[in-house]
Amino acid sequence: MPVHESIFNTISIVSVITILALLILVIMKNTRLKELESDVDNLKKSLDEMDEQAKLIVRTDIELNKAQEELDKKIAGLYSLQGLSRTISTTLVENQIFKMVEASGLQELGFEKACSFLWNEKDKKFTTYLSIGYTREETDLINATVNLNKAPYLDLINSNKTISSVSLQDAFLKEKITSIFKILSFIASPILPKEGSKGFLFVGTENMDTVIGEGDEELIVILTNQISQALENARLFEQTWKAQQELEKKVEERTQELKSALEAVKIVSKRKSDFISAVSHELRTPLTSIKGYASILLAGKLGQLPEEVRLRLDKVNRHSDELTSLVNDLLDISRIESGKVTMRREPLDIGAVAADMLDFFSVQTKEKQIQLSSSVAKGEFSVSADVSQIKRVFINLVSNAIKFTPAEGKITVSATKSGGFIQVDISDTGCGIPGDAKEKIFEEFYRVENAVNDTVKGTGLGLSLVKHIIEAHGGKIWVTSKAGAGSTFSFTLPQKE
Amino acid sequence: MENVFVGDVISVSIGLSREQDPVKAVREAMQQARAGLSREQVSLAVVFSTINLAHPATLEIINTLLGEVPVIGCTGAALITNKGIFSCGLAIVLLSLPKATYFNTALVQEIHNKTALAAGEDLGEKLLHNFHGTRRDLGIVFCDGLVEEGWSLIHGLQERLGTSFPLIAAFAADNLRFAKSSVYFNRQVSSDAATGILWGGRLDFSWGIRHGWKPLGKPHLITRSAENVVYDIDTEPAAKVYADYLGVGVDGLKKELKRISVFYPMGIYLPGIEEYLLRSVKSIGEDGSLVFHGNIPQDSTIRLMIGTKDSCLDAAGQALSEAKAGLQLTPENKVGIAFIFESVSRYLLFGRDAEKELKIAKETLGKDTPIIGIYTYGEQAPLRMINYQGKTYFHNQTITVLAIGG
Repeated sequence: MPVHESIFNTISIVSVITILALLILVIMKNTRLKELESDVDNLKKSLDEMDEQAKLIVRTDIELNKAQEELDKKIAGLYSLQGLSRTISTTLVENQIFKMVEASGLQELGFEKACSFLWNEKDKKFTTYLSIGYTREETDLINATVNLNKAPYLDLINSNKTISSVSLQDAFLKEKITSIFKILSFIASPILPKEGSKGFLFVGTENMDTVIGEGDEELIVILTNQISQALENARLFEQTWKAQQELEKKVEERTQELKSALEAVKIVSKRKSDFISAVSHELRTPLTSIKGYASILLAGKLGQLPEEVRLRLDKVNRHSDELTSLVNDLLDISRIESGKVTMRREPLDIGAVAADMLDFFSVQTKEKQIQLSSSVAKGEFSVSADVSQIKRVFINLVSNAIKFTPAEGKITVSATKSGGFIQVDISDTGCGIPGDAKEKIFEEFYRVENAVNDTVKGTGLGLSLVKHIIEAHGGKIWVTSKAGAGSTFSFTLPQKE
Repeated sequence: MENVFVGDVISVSIGLSREQDPVKAVREAMQQARAGLSREQVSLAVVFSTINLAHPATLEIINTLLGEVPVIGCTGAALITNKGIFSCGLAIVLLSLPKATYFNTALVQEIHNKTALAAGEDLGEKLLHNFHGTRRDLGIVFCDGLVEEGWSLIHGLQERLGTSFPLIAAFAADNLRFAKSSVYFNRQVSSDAATGILWGGRLDFSWGIRHGWKPLGKPHLITRSAENVVYDIDTEPAAKVYADYLGVGVDGLKKELKRISVFYPMGIYLPGIEEYLLRSVKSIGEDGSLVFHGNIPQDSTIRLMIGTKDSCLDAAGQALSEAKAGLQLTPENKVGIAFIFESVSRYLLFGRDAEKELKIAKETLGKDTPIIGIYTYGEQAPLRMINYQGKTYFHNQTITVLAIGG
């Protein structure tokens, strides 16, 4: 085989092999390309699927966001409603209630404009009580327009119905309201307090994005209920306050009347004292003459008197003494009342005064067979008092006790310490004093109706004088008694300092 | 207005009022702020309020009480303060600044007459006025949140001020009516305007920005867009793709967009950045396009994002920690004040739990650190403090924390 042929054959074999290899390579590359295309398709498919999943996620997210927004809106609404309610309830003044409705609170509820009107029954028109988001001119114009066609607003009140731009079916009215109040969405809810003027609250927004829902209407209804309640409270408070003012006025008037009456009584009382004092003085002069002349006659200085005349003169003399005593008592009472007599206070031993009394009345008690005793030891109790006046008190009270105590009876003088005072009790076993007379016996000229008083004469001034003396010392006097079971006269005097 | 600098360290005091009446509110807040300031001289006043208190009388009173002290600030949907989060209120921050710092404030108005980009350039020009050769450290801008394409304001600013230092912006908000938001500058309350402050000298500051949303579903390609309008995603109408995820249909989406878009923004993937850049949908065009709060470049890869309260709270914690970590703190030098500019969408997401985020802020920064902030209609800041690359991004749904050393 020639060399050329051999070379040719070798080249041919190599070429075939190369071609075969290239063919294999092409086939392999095509297969790889197909595989890659398939991978790309798969990737594209996955990406599209992922995109579809993304769409699902976004749509679910939109729903969730929507729900969340509504929830947030409701919660925010409730918060601001709570805030508004709290501020409204802080006042009890009707005019202030509407001023408490804050713009920020309403804004949080989604409304930047608000008006409130109350119906004035007397003038038959609506009065504006609240205006938020409107100028004064706009408010006046709205008020005038509302009053020009009151019917739909009165219907709101009368039917207790809340309307909104969503729920209102009457398209014409809706259009009218949005035009009057210059808003796009609104809610109007009646304010219906049980008493007084009724009205309505209007809230609105120009915001195109605000969507009013049922929840918003409910919130505004709650707000108007709060306003109604606050108005009711304010009106009740106003009534109560007015009533109290009237009552205070009446009390003041009565106090003034009583003061005037008291002044009049004081004047009358002073006149009475002055009169008694003057009359007593005038009576004492002729009385001393009468008594003097009677004494001269009785002494026989003008000749012996027939027995008949002497007996009559005795009576004149005795009656003159009684009259003098009466006039003196009256004079003393009027002097003490008018403050003309001052009590000369000095230490006074009650035990000693009581012992004096036992001596003083020994004859009388012996005659009447009455046991007069004192449980007060000398030096035991000492008071600060006018000696002569207190002795008059003792004499008056003990002589009264002797007068009303029957034979074999007992009279006791005792004393106790009570606070800064010494209480002296003079008890008897006499006929006692009926209940209704206990207070009156200290009045001037009052005499208890009983058998003793019918027979024994008295002026009816003794106890009154005693009361005046004790009270002039700053003490008190009273009686405890039962008819038929004796009496105890008690008085207090300030203890010696 | 005259700039006053005193001492070596910053002195800060915050006054807060929840009064509804602007005059009463500013008096109460001023009284508190004045009482809390350790120094007599005030260098700068920053005022934040809710829209109901945006009244010229507010600034007139501040001017009467403080004299010619520069005032900047803006309105927010709610106030963030140490004392809580308030949907109605006014806060005044009084700053007495150390001698080593320098700043200039400026205002640009009638933005709609020029475009936000041109307005940004104007503002930059004004801020540079009298700044001489002082090194620029930080820019803070408050812009009316309802200005069209407001995000491009910063780009205009950077045209004039350069990119060597970070710019942080907050977009003023109202009470979610999207009707009117205002910025404060000295004695002027302005809408369709932006105010800014350019800091220089040696100001110890740091920031952190996070959102907490996570990607879900497959990546999509923006096949047609212009500025903040995305027409097609994967060659399909953008609104259809978005509505498909939410299962509501395009018409249903139109109805519930405001509520839904807060929870499900789109995320733009940025290479090397931990979190996606968020864009929330503002409206739906008649042609089935999606209009976003912020621009989305064509050919970007985007994904649908989902957030939970927990993931957002975690993110807040991270932003706060990053802001604190960037400061040169010593046992004596604590955080002087922390400004928080937070998206209003987070306020809506958190609801009653908004206070939880505040609690985290207090725990992270220290319970006595003055904290003040607002809920905004947008935030602008560089993505990170470390490896700042000169680019400031417009963000949605984030919490931006700017901490200044004491």
